[in-house]
Amino acid sequence: MTTARDTIVDALDIESFVLCESEAEAKELVGKLMQSLGLARFVIVSLDFNGPGAHFRVRAYMNKPGDTYTWLKE
Amino acid sequence: MKILLAPLDPVHDAGLKLIKRKLEVLGYECVLLPPDITVEEIGEAAIAEKIDMIFVGRTVGYGVEQLFRRVRHVLTAQGIFGKVRVAIGGMAVTDELAKSLGFEAGYGPHTRIEEIHALIEKNPELARHVTHPVKDKPKFPFPHSNEVKDSTTRKLLDQIVDGILDWTSNKSSPGVVRAQITESQLQEVKGSVESYTALPFTRDYLAQCDENIVDFFQRNTCPSSVRQITQKEIDAYLRRIDIAKKNFHPRVLQHGRTKPLVFVQYGTGCPMMDGMHIKVAESWGADGVLHFDPAWGARTEGLMDGFLTNAEDGTPVTYANLSLIKRSLDKATLWTVRAHRGLNTPEIAVLSGFLGADMTKINIIYGSICGGTDPARLTVDGVEAMRIAARYNMPFDIPTNEELAGSPPHKAFAGMLVMAALGKRLGAQPILKPLLCHGPYVMVNEFMEQNYVDYNFAKIRALQAIADFPIWPGEPIGFMTHTEEKEQSAATTALHAAMCSTLGVDAITTASTDEAFSRGSITADGRVGALRAIEEAFRFFGQTDITPTAQADVWRDEIILGINDVLKKAAQAPSFVEALYSGVFGDKADGVYPGRAGRDSISEIEPTKKVGRWDVDPVMARKISLIAAAARPAVAARRRR
Repeated sequence: MTTARDTIVDALDIESFVLCESEAEAKELVGKLMQSLGLARFVIVSLDFNGPGAHFRVRAYMNKPGDTYTWLKE
Repeated sequence: MKILLAPLDPVHDAGLKLIKRKLEVLGYECVLLPPDITVEEIGEAAIAEKIDMIFVGRTVGYGVEQLFRRVRHVLTAQGIFGKVRVAIGGMAVTDELAKSLGFEAGYGPHTRIEEIHALIEKNPELARHVTHPVKDKPKFPFPHSNEVKDSTTRKLLDQIVDGILDWTSNKSSPGVVRAQITESQLQEVKGSVESYTALPFTRDYLAQCDENIVDFFQRNTCPSSVRQITQKEIDAYLRRIDIAKKNFHPRVLQHGRTKPLVFVQYGTGCPMMDGMHIKVAESWGADGVLHFDPAWGARTEGLMDGFLTNAEDGTPVTYANLSLIKRSLDKATLWTVRAHRGLNTPEIAVLSGFLGADMTKINIIYGSICGGTDPARLTVDGVEAMRIAARYNMPFDIPTNEELAGSPPHKAFAGMLVMAALGKRLGAQPILKPLLCHGPYVMVNEFMEQNYVDYNFAKIRALQAIADFPIWPGEPIGFMTHTEEKEQSAATTALHAAMCSTLGVDAITTASTDEAFSRGSITADGRVGALRAIEEAFRFFGQTDITPTAQADVWRDEIILGINDVLKKAAQAPSFVEALYSGVFGDKADGVYPGRAGRDSISEIEPTKKVGRWDVDPVMARKISLIAAAARPAVAARRRR
């Protein structure tokens, strides 16, 4: 059965702001966030740390070119 | 010192070429290897050229860690690593990665030459101004003559201002009385938040308040969307603010220009969420912030007190809330507190002044015909608020958001100029705040069908032609050009900012990318999006200006004529207040109308000072008086008695 997630063409981007004390902490927090959401195949697209925390965009890939695409499931 | 620059890319070596040029300017001898070399050839060149330090660059990000592991391995085998200093750089390189692999340092994109210079010389001070930049609070507003250029316009404004001061000289209001009580109490406790909050509220103060404010103090009840913030929350919040301050590295948005300064409006409902948004905005380059209170705060007689959070738009103005915001600000951040449109205008000006706000916001006309407050009441309160602003040395901006309701720019601007002339007369520093918007009047008349540039140019150029006051377009720039889509919203904000840069205005207020989103609160992410877009627009245009078409001059001249026409009508009215009631500055056909909050609440007092006199055309005065009486029967009847 096709889920909503299966219909995503390629990736799901999440963009937000995390409160933290360093860029390294921000990366760790973003990783934990993605794991907690069950989105293990991810990459941090951009991350900018300053002041209260980091502005980031993280991308969870559902379908990379060459995969057996979830949206071709019958 | 001799430095080897080695690109480990098949084609890309632009970064190292740039570094070479800049290091040579600093006096270093550099050897740049060509692209498409092997790792072994780097070591061979280092030995042959008797190199002191090597920078290896890899632009492409794929497999960068494995590649640099091999660089270290080969350079070690060649007997170079450990004897010659080696640093790496590239799109995917970080200092952490470099150090984990044993290199001296690693540089990613956006590295400044000062940082490389500091590394070479092992002297961090050489890069301190870029790694730890310092931002000072600008002296704002920037210097202007504050003069009205045309003598006819100046005379009309003087005449209207004389009338306002004459009319208000024997009047007071509950708002004025509360401001006096509040100021006296703040003086008594020397501005201490703790002592002020602990003060028992006097019967005199409560006698001037609405029932719900009395209930707040006597029964500890809040409006349904409001709750008191706990001390535990405040303590935790302040710890977060301390961390943010510790890690703050100021950014400057303007690229080679000193203006416009960029302001961000806040008012999420909660002072703690506001504070965190402010820290984000400061960190992404905002020069100033503006406090927005809830709409019901403007229609309620009296202010609550203590640390309060509101689940809806607008953060309640209390001395404690404002003090919390103040404590959150960076020393370089300009702070404005909106006082302008409601029944608590003078009192908010007092609170802001006591807390050292840099500016406030007052517009009797906007508040009267678009903000829901009775014109007579707000005229009394607005004049008092301007006096307070002058006393506390707070410049005040004059918003003209009545354009959003449909008022044409020439009417809104005429009113703004009256407020500027009034403020100047009272010793305050006014700032013009035209709205750059795709408002109803503009839409209906299709002034922005071709572009957003010409009509906005016409508006600002009209004001600049009439007078030399500071100009700070808002609120926010590009109002009603935003959609809920983030990229579009950031783009329209950035383009309006670039246009304002060309126009030479002193400051702008920017939206977040959530400007058009009305089904929930705005986000920190949205703040970053808009500020980054503005930064990029300023970077893109630099010193380059945007040029409008000739149509902008045609519209500019029409607006100037319109402004003078409105000022003539206002000067001919029996009083400024009658002019407001009769629609001289905007009427129901435009989409604006006199407010009702605070109607019949002003009282007569012993005249303080007789100022000015009227020079009225009796025919025009009679005509306006009749219109005003129809619009305001109760007040007109009372005045006749």
